[in-house]
Amino acid sequence: MRVTDSMRYLDVRRNLTRIQRENAKAAETASTGLRVTKPSDDPIASAELARLRASLSTASTQRQVAQTAQSDADLAESTLAQATELLGRARELAMQGSNDSLSADDRSALANETRSIRTQLLGLANARGAKGYLFSGSLTSTAAFDSNGLFQGDDVAQSVDVGGSTPTEVSASGAMAFTAAGGRDLFADLDSLANALGADNRAGAAAALDNLDQNQRQITNERSRIGLIANKLESSGNLLSQLDLDLNKRQTGVGAADPFEAYSKMTSLGQSLERAITVSRQMLDGNNAWQR
Amino acid sequence: MAASLTQLLNTARDSLSAQTYGLGVTGQNLANVNTPGYVRREALLETRALGTQTTGSVVANGIRRVTDEFLERRQFESTGLNSAASEHDSRLESLEALFNDVSGTGLGNSLDNLYNSFTQLSANPADPTTRRNVLAAADAFAERSRDTATVIAQSRTDLLKDAQSTTTQINESARAIARLNSQILAAEAQGGDAADLKDQRKQVMLGLASLVDVRTIASGSGIVVQASGTTLVDGVEARQLSIDLDSDGKMRVFAARNDEATPTEVTKFLTGGKLAGIKEARDVDLFETAKKLDEFVFDVATSINQQHQLGFGTDGVDGRDLFDVNTVDAARTVRVSVDVFNRPEAIAASGSATTLPGGSDNAVALSRLSTAPVVFGNSRTAAQSYGDLVGDVGQRKSAAEKMLESREAIAAQLDAMNEAMSGVSLDEEFVNLTKFQRAYEASARVLTTADQLLQELIQRV
Repeated sequence: MRVTDSMRYLDVRRNLTRIQRENAKAAETASTGLRVTKPSDDPIASAELARLRASLSTASTQRQVAQTAQSDADLAESTLAQATELLGRARELAMQGSNDSLSADDRSALANETRSIRTQLLGLANARGAKGYLFSGSLTSTAAFDSNGLFQGDDVAQSVDVGGSTPTEVSASGAMAFTAAGGRDLFADLDSLANALGADNRAGAAAALDNLDQNQRQITNERSRIGLIANKLESSGNLLSQLDLDLNKRQTGVGAADPFEAYSKMTSLGQSLERAITVSRQMLDGNNAWQR
Repeated sequence: MAASLTQLLNTARDSLSAQTYGLGVTGQNLANVNTPGYVRREALLETRALGTQTTGSVVANGIRRVTDEFLERRQFESTGLNSAASEHDSRLESLEALFNDVSGTGLGNSLDNLYNSFTQLSANPADPTTRRNVLAAADAFAERSRDTATVIAQSRTDLLKDAQSTTTQINESARAIARLNSQILAAEAQGGDAADLKDQRKQVMLGLASLVDVRTIASGSGIVVQASGTTLVDGVEARQLSIDLDSDGKMRVFAARNDEATPTEVTKFLTGGKLAGIKEARDVDLFETAKKLDEFVFDVATSINQQHQLGFGTDGVDGRDLFDVNTVDAARTVRVSVDVFNRPEAIAASGSATTLPGGSDNAVALSRLSTAPVVFGNSRTAAQSYGDLVGDVGQRKSAAEKMLESREAIAAQLDAMNEAMSGVSLDEEFVNLTKFQRAYEASARVLTTADQLLQELIQRV
C-alpha cells in the first residue's frame, strides 16, 4: 500500500488525540476516585446508584425521625417517673391522714400538701415535647388537662415512619395514665383525698389510699409501655445507622474506582503519551528523499 | 538521411515537450500535496507513430486522475455513517447531563426530599415549619420535573431547526453537483479532461455525504446521486429534500419529484449523514425518554394525590390534591395544586378530622409511598423506576458512543485507503521529478547531437 505524507500526519494526529483522551479520562478517575461519573460510564451501575441514593436519603431521614420520637418518649417516661414519685408522697399523706391520732388541724395541713401535689401533677400531665403536649393524644395543641382536672385530649396513638414493615406508634397516652379510661381518674381521686382531709374525714382518707394505689399502678403501666417504645425507637435508630453504613459501603463498591488501579493506569498512560510524542516527532522530522 | 536527422530533431522536440508536460504534472502534484480532496495526477505519455515510419516520438496524452470509484463510493458511505453516529452521540450528551444526580440537585434527589418531608411530617404534624417544608419539597420536585421536560422539548425544537438548515445545505450541494456535472460534460465535449472540476465535485460529494447518506451511479450525463433512497441529482438536474412533522411531532423527510406535484416521503430510507443522526436523537431517544419521564411524573404525582385526598388538613378539610398534573405532557405541566399552594394548614397529615393537629397516619401513608410500587402500571417503586430511567439514558448514550467508535474506525480506514490510492507522496514525486529531469536532459542532448550532425552535413554540402 502506498503511504503518503498526509496519511502519516493524520496517523500522528489521531494517535496523539486518542492517547491524550485516554490520559485525561484516567486522570479524572484517579482524582475523583469515581469509576462512574455519568450514566453512560456504566448504565447498570448508574441505575443501582440512583436507587442507593434514594435508600440512603430515606434511611437518614428515618433516623432523624426515630431520634426525635425517642427523645419525646424518653421525656414522657421521665415525666411519668416523677409523677410516680409524687403519687408515692400522696399515698403517704393518705396513710397519715387515716391515722386516728391526728387532729383536724393536722389533717388540714395534709390537705394543703395534697392540693400542692395535685397542682404539681397537673403541671407534669401538661408537659410539652417536640411536637406539642405529650399526654393529649392527637390533640397536641391543647393542654391535656384543664385547671379543673378535666381531660381535654384523646386516646389516639400517633405513629411515625421509621422503616420496617409497620409504622411505629410513639405517643404516650395521658388518657390511660391519668384518667378513668385506664382505670381511675387521678385528679378526681386527689380532689376527694384533699376534701376528705380538709373535712377531717379519717374514713375518706383511708378509702382514698386504695384508689391512689390503683392510680400508681396505672401510671407505672403507662411508664413501662412508653419506656418500651423508647427502647424500640433506639434500636430502630441503631438499625438505621447500620443500614446507612451498609448502603454507603455498597455505594462505594458500585461507583468507586480502585485507587491503586486508577493510579497505575494513569502512570502507564502518561508514559505511553511520552513515548507517542517522541515517536511522532521522529515521524514528522522523518526521512524522506528531499533531505540530502 | 536528412529526413532522418530532421526526424530526430522532431523526436527530440516532441520529447522535450512531453517531459516538460510530465514535469508540469509533477509540479502540480507537489503544489497540491496539502490540498484537501486533491487526487494525484499521472501524466500519460504514449509513443506517437509518424505515419508508417519505424521510428516515432512521444506524446503527452493528457493526465489520469488516480482514483478508484469503488473506494470512493465506500468512502461516501462510511463518511455518512460516521457523521450520523457522531451527531447522534453528541446530542445525547445533554440528555445524559439531565439525569446525572451526582451533584445532588437532580430530579431523583428532589423526589427523595419530597418523600423525606412526608416522613418528617409524620413525626411532627402540627409544626408549621415542617408543613411548609412539605410544600417547598413538592414545589421543588414539580420545578425539577418541568425543567427537565422543558430542556428535552427545547432540544427537540433545536434539532428540528438543525435538520431544516441541514436540508437547506443538502439542497445547495445537490445544485452545486448538478452545475459541476454540466460543466464537466461541457469540458469533456471540448476535449479537455476536467480533472479539477472532478476534484471539486468529489469534495462537494464528501460534504454531502456527511449530511445525508449518498450513493453514486456513473451515467452518461455525469453521475447520478441518490440520497435517502431517492434520486437527488440526475445528471444536470437537481431535486429538493424537505422536512415536516407528523401528528406525533416526529420528523418526516420528503423528496420532490419533477413530474409529480406532491413530494414523496422517504423517511424510512434515511440511513446516514447528519440528518439521520438528528432524526435518531430527536425522534427515538429524546422522544422515548420524554414519554417515559411523563409517565413517571404522572404516576408518582397521581399516587401522592390519591393518598393526600384521603387525609385532612389542620382546617379539617379533606379531598385535596397535592399536585395539579395532566395526562398529556405531565412532566412539563406538573405544579403544586392551587388547593394547597402557600397554605401549610392544607397539608393532609391526619387520617381523620377528629385527631387534629397531631394525627400523623396519613403522613405515614404518604411517606410509605416511597416504597410502594405505584409507577408504570403499579409495577415499580418511584426509586426503582427513576433508576430505570437513569440506566436507560446511560444505555442509549453508551451504545451511541460504541457505535461512534466503530464507525470512526471504519471511516478512518477508508479515508486511509483512499489517501493511499489518490494522495500525493513527496518521495514518489521526487523520483518523478528526477525521472522527467533526466529524460529532458537526455532529449536536449539528442537535440544538440542532431544539431551538430546537421551542421556537419551542411558544412560539407
